[in-house]
Amino acid sequence: MEKKKKFYFDVKWLFIIAIVAFLLIFQVFPLVYLVIRAFIADGSFSFDAFARIYSSDMNWTCVLNTLITASLSMVFGVLIAFPLAFLVGRTNLYGKKLFRTLFLMTYMVPPYVGAMAWLRLLNPKVGTLNMLLQNIFNLSEAPFDIYSIGGLVWVLTTFYYPYAFITLSRAMENMDPSLEEASRISGSSPVKTLFTVTLPLMLPSIAASALLVFVAAASCYGIPSIIGAPAKLYTITTRIVDYVYVGSADGLTDATVLAVFLMVLALVILFISNFVIGKKDYITISGKSVRPNIVDLGKWRIPITILVSLFAIVVIVIPFVSVFATSFTVNMGKSVFEEGNFTFKYWETIFSRGSILRSAGNSLVSSVWAASLGMVVCIIMAYLLKRTKVPGRKIPDFLITVGSGTPSVVIALALIMTMSGRFGINIYNTMWIMVVAYMIKYMLMGMRTVVSALSRVSPSLEEAAQVSGAGWLRRLKDVLFPLIVPSVVAGWFLIFMPCFYELTMSNMLYSDQTKSLGVELFLYQTYHSQQTAAALAGCILIIVAVLNFVMNKVTKGKFSI
Amino acid sequence: MSVITLDHITKKFGDSVVLNDFSDEFRDGEFVTLLGPSGCGKTTMLRMIAGFEKPTSGEIRIDGRIVSSADTFVPPEKRELGMVFQSYAVWPHMNVFNNVAYPLKIRKLPKAEIKEKVDKVLESVHLSQYSKRMPSELSGGQQQRVALARALVAEPKVLLLDEPLSNLDAKLRERMRFEIKEIQERLHINVIYVTHDQGEAMTMSDRVFVINSGVLQQVGTPVEIYRSPKNQFVADFVGKVNFLKGVSDGGKIKLSGIDDTLDYSGPVSGEVDVAVRPENIHIVNGDAHLHGKLVSEFFTGDTNDCRIAVGSSELRVIADAATYGKFSSEDTIGLEITDMLVFPSASDDLTKIRT
Repeated sequence: MEKKKKFYFDVKWLFIIAIVAFLLIFQVFPLVYLVIRAFIADGSFSFDAFARIYSSDMNWTCVLNTLITASLSMVFGVLIAFPLAFLVGRTNLYGKKLFRTLFLMTYMVPPYVGAMAWLRLLNPKVGTLNMLLQNIFNLSEAPFDIYSIGGLVWVLTTFYYPYAFITLSRAMENMDPSLEEASRISGSSPVKTLFTVTLPLMLPSIAASALLVFVAAASCYGIPSIIGAPAKLYTITTRIVDYVYVGSADGLTDATVLAVFLMVLALVILFISNFVIGKKDYITISGKSVRPNIVDLGKWRIPITILVSLFAIVVIVIPFVSVFATSFTVNMGKSVFEEGNFTFKYWETIFSRGSILRSAGNSLVSSVWAASLGMVVCIIMAYLLKRTKVPGRKIPDFLITVGSGTPSVVIALALIMTMSGRFGINIYNTMWIMVVAYMIKYMLMGMRTVVSALSRVSPSLEEAAQVSGAGWLRRLKDVLFPLIVPSVVAGWFLIFMPCFYELTMSNMLYSDQTKSLGVELFLYQTYHSQQTAAALAGCILIIVAVLNFVMNKVTKGKFSI
Repeated sequence: MSVITLDHITKKFGDSVVLNDFSDEFRDGEFVTLLGPSGCGKTTMLRMIAGFEKPTSGEIRIDGRIVSSADTFVPPEKRELGMVFQSYAVWPHMNVFNNVAYPLKIRKLPKAEIKEKVDKVLESVHLSQYSKRMPSELSGGQQQRVALARALVAEPKVLLLDEPLSNLDAKLRERMRFEIKEIQERLHINVIYVTHDQGEAMTMSDRVFVINSGVLQQVGTPVEIYRSPKNQFVADFVGKVNFLKGVSDGGKIKLSGIDDTLDYSGPVSGEVDVAVRPENIHIVNGDAHLHGKLVSEFFTGDTNDCRIAVGSSELRVIADAATYGKFSSEDTIGLEITDMLVFPSASDDLTKIRT
C-alpha cells in the first residue's frame, strides 16, 4: 500500500514538471529574454536603448500618452464604477438586475468594437451623435472630436470601468452587514455609516480596482490603434506593433525597451494589488450567504434610476445599436433610415467571402485548442494546488497569474523574438504560436474557476466516498468530477471567448495562412470597409451573446460573463 | 462487532505533538466517546482509525489485522468502516437514495439487494418518504440522518462519528443522542464518538476517554468520570465544579482565605485543591460547614443557580428553586457540603484548556 502511495506522488511530480516546463519554455524564457535584450542590444550591457527612448520625442510622447490616458481612465473609471456598484448592489434602485447585466456586458465584447462604435458616433465630420447634437443645439461645429486624447480616454473609460464595477460590487456584496449595523446601532446615520465604515472598509478594493483599470487601459491595443492611429496619437502598444511591422533591428530594440517598460509597469501593479493590497483586504467571505443591507433611496429613487438609465443608454445601448446600424448603411454620411441607404450586402459579404470564412475557421480552431489545452493544465494545477501537499505546487499558479498580467503586446513580441527558430523552436507563422500566446494570456480565468470550484467541494465529501470503499479513480469519477463539471465547462468558455475574437496578439503573430477573425475585422475597419467590419463585429457580438446564454444554461445560471 | 487496538500511537504535525503515546483497546460492541476541548487531538485520533491520517509512530489493529504501522498502511476505502462527518458530507449531486446506496454500489451488490437494504436503513432513520429528495431540499437534521444511514447501510463493524450533532439545534441534538444510542444497541456495533459536549458523552457512552492537549486524562464510565475524576482538569471539564485551595492536616482541611475548616479523612495531605460540585452544596439552617453571603442568583425554573461569597472565594451553588428570593445580601447563609473531591495542589493550573 505504501508503495502505491509513493507511485501517485511520482505521477504528481511528472504533471508539475511537464506544466512548469511548458510555462518555462513558452512564457518565462521569452519574457526574460525580452528583458535581457532590452539591456544587451549588441553584445554588451548598456542603458543605451533606454536612453534613446527618453531622448526620442516619438517614443517619449507615446510613453506620456499611455500614462496620461491610463491614469485618466483609471480616475474616471472608479468615479463611475463606485457609485454604480453601490447603487446596484446596496440600494433599492429600480431594475438592478438589468443594470448589472448591462454594465457587465462590455466585459464580453472585444474592445475594438467599442472603438468602432464611438468612432462612428463622435467623428468630428460625420459622427452621428455629433450631427444630432449640432442640429439640436444649432451649433456651427461638432461638439466632440473622437480623434483626441479626450476621445481616447472616453472610450477607454466606457470600456474598462466594468473591471472596477465587478470588483467593487463583489466587495460590497460580500461585506458582513453586521459591521454596518454596528455603526448604525452606535448612532450613525446611513450616510455617515457609508463614509465612516463602508468606504474605509472598501478602500483596498477601490485601490485594487483602480490599478486593474489602469493596467487594462495601458495595455490595450485595440482602442488606441483604431482611434489613435488616424489622429496620430500613439501609445506604447501601438508603437510596439508599428516597430514590429517595420522589423528593423533598431526598431525591434526600441519595441523591446517599450515592451519591458510596459511589462514592468503591469507586473509591479499586479504585485501591489495582489500581495500588498490583497493582504489588507478586510472583506472576508463568510460561509453563510450574507444579505447586504439595502439602503432606501426614498424620494431620490426615481430620479436616480433615470440618471443611471441615461448613463446606460449613452454608454452601452447607443454604441451597440450604432455598430449594427453601421453594418446596414450604404453611405456612411447619411442616416441608415434614409431612402435607399439600407442594405444587407455587408452581412452577405461576411458569410460568403472566402477569406473571412477562412479567418473565422482559423480563429475557431486555434481557440478550441487554446481552451482545451488550457483547461487540461488548469484542472491538473487546481487539483495539485487544492488537494495535495506537493512542494512547488504553487509555482505554476504563480506563473499563470504573471502570464495573464503581462500585456498582450509584450507576450506576442517575446514569442516572436524567441520562437522563430533562433533557439531551436520555430513555431512562428503557425497556428501554434497563437495557441501558446492565447493560453499564456487567458488561462488564468479557467484556473480561477476550477480552483474556486474545488475549494467549494469540501474534502469530507471525498472522504465519505473513501470510507464507503471507493478508490482514488472511483472517487474522482463519482464525487469530485460531477461536482466541478459546470465550472470546467464555464472555464473552457471563459478561455475560448476572448481567444475567439482576440486582436492584439493575433495581429502581431498571424501569417497569410493563420489570419484570425479579429485581424480580419481590424483590416476591414482600417483599410477597406467600415460597414463590413461592423457586420463582422455584430456577428461576433451575437456569437458571444449566444455562447454566454448557453454557458448560463449549462451551468444553471452559476456562470456567465 | 470488532476490537480496535491502538498501540503506542503518537501523532505529530511538524513539531507539535497532537497525540502522545496513546494505547488502548476499544472493545466489541462498545460505545466509546473521545471527549475533550477542540484541538485536543480527538478528531485526529478518529481520522487515524479511519485512515485519513497516518500515525507518526505506533500501530493500529482492527480485529487483529494491522491497518496502520511503520510498514503497513490500509487506506480508508479498504477498512470497511462507517463514518459520519461533522459537516455530514452528503453529496449534493445525488439524491438521498443514491447517497445511501453508494457504499453498496461500490461493493457491487445486486440492484434488488441494494434497494432492500437502503429502504431498510432509511426506515430506521425515519427518512423513507424522502428517498427521492435532493440534499438541498432537506433540513440539517435530515441531512445528518442521511449521513448516518449512509454510514450504517453496509453494516460496518465500526461506526465513527465526528461531532455529528454539533450543527443541530438543541432539541434535535437531544433527540438524536437517543436515536444513535438506540441504533447502536440494536445493531450491536462498535461506535467511536468524538465530541466536546460532555452531555453527549454522558448520555451515550459505555466508556469515556477524556483527552487534553494530546494526553489522555482519564478513561472510565460516565459515572466514574463524573464522580471520581482523576485530576482537576477532568473534574472541571466534565460537569461544573468549584475549586477551593487549602491545607490538609490531621483529618481537617484548613481553607485558605476562609475561616471555616472541613472534615476530611482521605489520604491526601499537605497543600490541596478541594473540588465541590454545585449540586453537592446545600443551603441549610443551623449546623453548617461554611458560611457566606449571597452575591447573585438566577432563577432557572427547577433550580436557583446562585453565587455565594465565602471568605475570599466565590462558590456556585445550585440550590432548591424554593430558596430564590429568600435572602438579602446581608444575610449569612449556612452551607453544607455533602460530597467533595480532594486533589494534591497542582503547581500549574490544570483546569486551563490547553490546545
